[in-house]
Amino acid sequence: MLLNLITSQDAAIRDQSLAEVCSHFDARTLLDECDQLDHFRRTSGNLYDRVRALFFLYSIHRFHLPKKLTADQTGAIPFHGHEGLLARRFEEAIDTFLATQKADGPSDAISSSLAAAYHQLAFQTLANQVRKSVRTVRGNQWMFRMGHPQDQPLRIRPELLKTDNNLFPILRERTPVRMDLTHSAWSDIFFLGMDFPEGARVINVSVNLAVHGRDDVPTPPVEAYLRIIDRPVIRLTSIDLQASAEIDSLAEVFDFAKDYLGLLKAAVIASGIVPPGIEGSGQSLADLLEQIAGPGKGFEIVSSVNDIPKGSRLAVSTNLLAALISACMRATGQTASLTGELTEPERRLVLARAVLGEWIGGSGGGWQDSGGVWPGIKMIEGEIAGETDPEYGISRGRLMPKHHVFGEDEIPSSARQALEDSLILVHGGMASNVGPILEMVTEKYLLRASAEWQGRQEALQLIDQILTALKAGDMKTLGALTTENFRGPLQTIIPWATNHFTEMLIQRAQEEFGEDFWGFWMLGGMSGGGMGFIVAPERKEEALHRMKEIMLVTKRELENALPFAMDPVVYDFSLNPHGTFGDLLKKNDALLPPTYYQLAVPQLLRAEPDALSSTDRAELHQFAIASKTQPKFSSSVQNLFHSLIPESQTTDPSGSSLSDLLTEHGFDREQHEQIRKDLQSGRIGLAQNRLSPSTSIEDVEPRDVTNYTQNEPSAELVALGEQALAAGEVAVVTLAAGAGSRWTQGAGVCKALHPFSKFEGRHRTFIETHLAKSRRRGSEAGTTVPHIFTTSYLTHRPTEHFLAHQNHYHYPGPLHLSPGRSVGLRMIPTERDLRFAWEEMPQQTLDEQQQKVRDSLRTALIGWARNTGQAEDYTDNLPLQCLHPVGHFFELPNLLLNGTLRTLLQERPNLSTLMLHNIDTLGADLDPGLLGHHLNSKSGLTFEVITRRLEDRGGGLARVNGHPRLLEGLAMSREEDEFKLSFYNSMTTWIDLNQFLALFELNRQDILQNDQTKIAQAIRKVASRLPTYITLKDVKKRWGHGQEDVFPVTQFEKLWSDLSMLPDIESHFLVVPRLRGQQLKDPAQLDSWLRDGSAEYVNRLCQWD
Amino acid sequence: MKITKAVITAAGPDQTHLPLQTIVSSTGEAKSMLALLLDDAFSSGIESVAIVIAPGMEDDYSSAVESHLDQVTFIVQSAPDGFAHAVFCANDFVGQERFLLLLGDHIYLNPTGPSCVSQLLGAAERTEGALSAVQPTHESQLPYYGTIGGKRVSGSDAFIEISIALEKPTPTVAEQELIIPGLRSGKYLCYFGMHIITPSIMEQVKMDLSQTEKLPLTLSLNAIAQSERYLAVQIQGHRYNLGEPYGLLRANLGMALAGPDRDEVMTSIIELIGLTK
Repeated sequence: MLLNLITSQDAAIRDQSLAEVCSHFDARTLLDECDQLDHFRRTSGNLYDRVRALFFLYSIHRFHLPKKLTADQTGAIPFHGHEGLLARRFEEAIDTFLATQKADGPSDAISSSLAAAYHQLAFQTLANQVRKSVRTVRGNQWMFRMGHPQDQPLRIRPELLKTDNNLFPILRERTPVRMDLTHSAWSDIFFLGMDFPEGARVINVSVNLAVHGRDDVPTPPVEAYLRIIDRPVIRLTSIDLQASAEIDSLAEVFDFAKDYLGLLKAAVIASGIVPPGIEGSGQSLADLLEQIAGPGKGFEIVSSVNDIPKGSRLAVSTNLLAALISACMRATGQTASLTGELTEPERRLVLARAVLGEWIGGSGGGWQDSGGVWPGIKMIEGEIAGETDPEYGISRGRLMPKHHVFGEDEIPSSARQALEDSLILVHGGMASNVGPILEMVTEKYLLRASAEWQGRQEALQLIDQILTALKAGDMKTLGALTTENFRGPLQTIIPWATNHFTEMLIQRAQEEFGEDFWGFWMLGGMSGGGMGFIVAPERKEEALHRMKEIMLVTKRELENALPFAMDPVVYDFSLNPHGTFGDLLKKNDALLPPTYYQLAVPQLLRAEPDALSSTDRAELHQFAIASKTQPKFSSSVQNLFHSLIPESQTTDPSGSSLSDLLTEHGFDREQHEQIRKDLQSGRIGLAQNRLSPSTSIEDVEPRDVTNYTQNEPSAELVALGEQALAAGEVAVVTLAAGAGSRWTQGAGVCKALHPFSKFEGRHRTFIETHLAKSRRRGSEAGTTVPHIFTTSYLTHRPTEHFLAHQNHYHYPGPLHLSPGRSVGLRMIPTERDLRFAWEEMPQQTLDEQQQKVRDSLRTALIGWARNTGQAEDYTDNLPLQCLHPVGHFFELPNLLLNGTLRTLLQERPNLSTLMLHNIDTLGADLDPGLLGHHLNSKSGLTFEVITRRLEDRGGGLARVNGHPRLLEGLAMSREEDEFKLSFYNSMTTWIDLNQFLALFELNRQDILQNDQTKIAQAIRKVASRLPTYITLKDVKKRWGHGQEDVFPVTQFEKLWSDLSMLPDIESHFLVVPRLRGQQLKDPAQLDSWLRDGSAEYVNRLCQWD
Repeated sequence: MKITKAVITAAGPDQTHLPLQTIVSSTGEAKSMLALLLDDAFSSGIESVAIVIAPGMEDDYSSAVESHLDQVTFIVQSAPDGFAHAVFCANDFVGQERFLLLLGDHIYLNPTGPSCVSQLLGAAERTEGALSAVQPTHESQLPYYGTIGGKRVSGSDAFIEISIALEKPTPTVAEQELIIPGLRSGKYLCYFGMHIITPSIMEQVKMDLSQTEKLPLTLSLNAIAQSERYLAVQIQGHRYNLGEPYGLLRANLGMALAGPDRDEVMTSIIELIGLTK
């Protein structure tokens, strides 16, 4: 039946929604369908049929089958299958999981594993096909055959070898960036263009750019320079990234992550100067350069993007890659002309090489991204593969799209002017990862979910209307259409295309300009970074200023909630009529941009005068003359001093220094020094987190848990819980002190404040969602529920400020923040720990090129740790980014220490139970039945666990040496031990307050009396009984214009769940439904979370203000 | 129609002295390179040859042609105006006939069969119009040669109908435009330095020269490929370009190893290898 959806020639059958069809099947039928699909995907000769079958299998196991499994859902995941997944041996992993499913029966756990395996195999298959196509494009193939310098057929053009006063001429390539008026619902993803070429349509505009208020006039922002040098090396310089390197070996050319020059290296390779086929040949770079440019000669390549910030959604990096490739190709005679515009076949070749370059560099862009190579406004469309194409018989479409550049007869200059007069082009300041969105789009396209498929058809209709409005110069209609595109099809397919920041900007623009605000325009894959606001032309000047102010104010309001990489900017822009354009700078004009000399001249000045070559002297002379005569070089000498003596940043934006912050947040220097000593001596470390290998770690037995996944608590227990709620005996503690590293990849914003998803038409934060659940439970019980959010040095002030700004979301009950009372200082990791994490622990192997990039990056980071000082303090960042929270164990004891519990007890003398949960456990609420169970059990701590899925990593419920307890993943003696465990820790814990205080040898009176010394001693005593874990965390360092680096740092923590190992407080374990206990750790999970019913479940628990 | 005339170009500034070099032929005789070329041409059926030379070289060339002086006409190219111009200098000599064009700085050798020139002339007898000798060449050699694209003539694998001819193409362009079925990957059909030139090509050269000076001949050959049937034939044998580094040495060795003194020469080579690092 489902096979029909893949193989039918009838589009009406083929385009049916899988979800709709599956909704009529029971579990047995679904499993039978899976058998057929799996057999089909193994035997079908058609690539896209195979991929579609893989996505069907993924979807059934992820979304449809688990709902239909009525039997006991616990099941083990075979470790061997997990290993297969990590090593990208997907077929082997699938076979292993299927064998387990056959032997043990279907289960939620095994379905989650199969879903992951099918999903990854589907994307791997697609990626392999795109790459194969990239290699087989004619004009690219020879580069994979060439393995010896003497086989290098390229030669430098003679014009570049003619010196003048010892200076070689400079070839300059200037390239506009591209903006797309619509991409017809991400139809520019290679996979879509190759499967559905009819639907791959983009209106793409080449533009010059200037940052409004900073630059004079818009110019092509992307520049690549190439010249011959009299040394047999390749010298690469990225002006914007302030990085320069002289490369003298082939191996280094292929080492992409060693420095910031990966893009330049990719261009050198993709242009054929150092062809990919020569990688690993052991040959000499000097020999290769001699073959191309002559004995003793090399190249210098310089890139500049005129400080255009990262994340602009204008495809700056792809167009830079294209500009660099274009310059390299011109220089080596691969284009007819050394200068001027390129011919159409040459542009297509640059595109093919840019696609190749992105693959080599391990990145990836859409097929429209090199649009800046072409001039003006163009329609880029997919093309059906013909018999002579390498794609023929494999995919329906060709890898390379076709470009139609609109002439004046189609889009008159008045219409082009109208576009320039009405569009406010901005960068909102957010730098988001668009990768997960592109994966979601691909998946939904292949699954043909009905709403999304309908959205795609609407987007395709809109592109024609947008084009008509553009041709007519009717910007008002165009604005309405781009808004309709954003509100309609784009968000139907991907709700995450928008965010709270964007919505606020649109609303404020509407308020500001009223009828004169004509529309919003999403650039690229998602909003928040590059965006457009269309206004009436007479208000454009005003809008340029006001939009900047509006964006800045809005950013200030949200900067602790959303990851911003920089302050917003507004661009001036103009349409570029040339596309990429080359010219040759000779004699006095043979100058690189002024900022280049800030990097290059200090090195020349530091060198011994005798060591300077005649070219070096000529270069210095040229620079000296330019400094005196050329206006753009007028401040060069001054700036040179800044380059020679750089300043360092030592304070936070608030003005606090690191030492101020350490003092303020109770940093324990003595403890810190001890940890450093222990780290250096090897007494503690990642390997030492583990329990001894002789420890017995087994799955729990049925009698160790109470399972509420199939049956709900009895009416008596529900009544008991309701009674406690009504009596004001219960409060909620939400852990919100952590930095949410995975959520923002270490950006250091408050996850709790992140408006992560829309509920009832509005983006809601984690805090608002948790309060809405407490509001509902309180309201049902005829009372209000006290709700506490624990905070830390990182989250306290922003949370306090945010809640005040939101009027505490009008929460009717007591709402308290519990500030942290301890902080750690991050350290540079030891090489031992880095190697343990990266070399000894099982690792997810990446795709071939990405893996190379990651290996190279890790080597560089190990070098960084070694050179910077292992276990030394990490201080080379904003002060707040150098601190770390010391683990969530401390968050509840902090309530005791900071007076919050005292306040609570004063407000609610009956308080006897706390429900503690993580900020990302959105389904956790004061369920009366579970509360009743906890009360009835008389346990000190009742931990909630859920059945394990593949993605639930990091520990679980185990019998450790025969005793049931929660065990952290860090402490597992062997990786495979975790795979024996059926249950995963949700972190949600019901706490009997009196028993908890007794554990600390305290009582309610001690709390009310607030004896700080006694309480602090009590906490230290219990803390000392818990293990200290050393962990590696990623921390972001931001620099330049939206650039970010991620560094691993060492920190330590004590964890809450280890309380379950203490014998002097009774712990009990409840298995709760997955929707209640699952955690939302990563924004990439959001889409599945929305689709699998989780969002709906959470919404049902909430009573919004 | 039988071809009886040949033109040898030897006027290029870098090649003037190369045809005068003495080398040992495969029969063991010491001869000038030019004499060897002429031997090959006349023994293959050519009856008269014009040699295009630089000014002031008549005497040197007269002595180098040795016994063929009666059948040879010298034509002086007064200025170094490029290869196409050199060929056009022989326009009066060839009249309205097809003729064989050879390069003065190349030696052609086929140790195992008919000479390269006779192969081309034999092929020319079976066809009409322009014909170029070509040979599969590795892409790393593309910077040195004109290269053709086209399709094989059905029923005759040796002939290729040329659709495009490019001078020293990049491998990228070669891969896009010049792939010919049946060749190993990374190989292209490059000119062998021997052509059968037609009056229409001479007309084309004349027209091209009126627009641009110093043209490579390939440009005119490409124009002809667009306007009339122009064939290529794959030749068995080797060419030695004396203008390349060690070109003369290679040509000498090629000749010697193809002749009766092969063993002696190989022994010398091995001794030399033994004496050096």
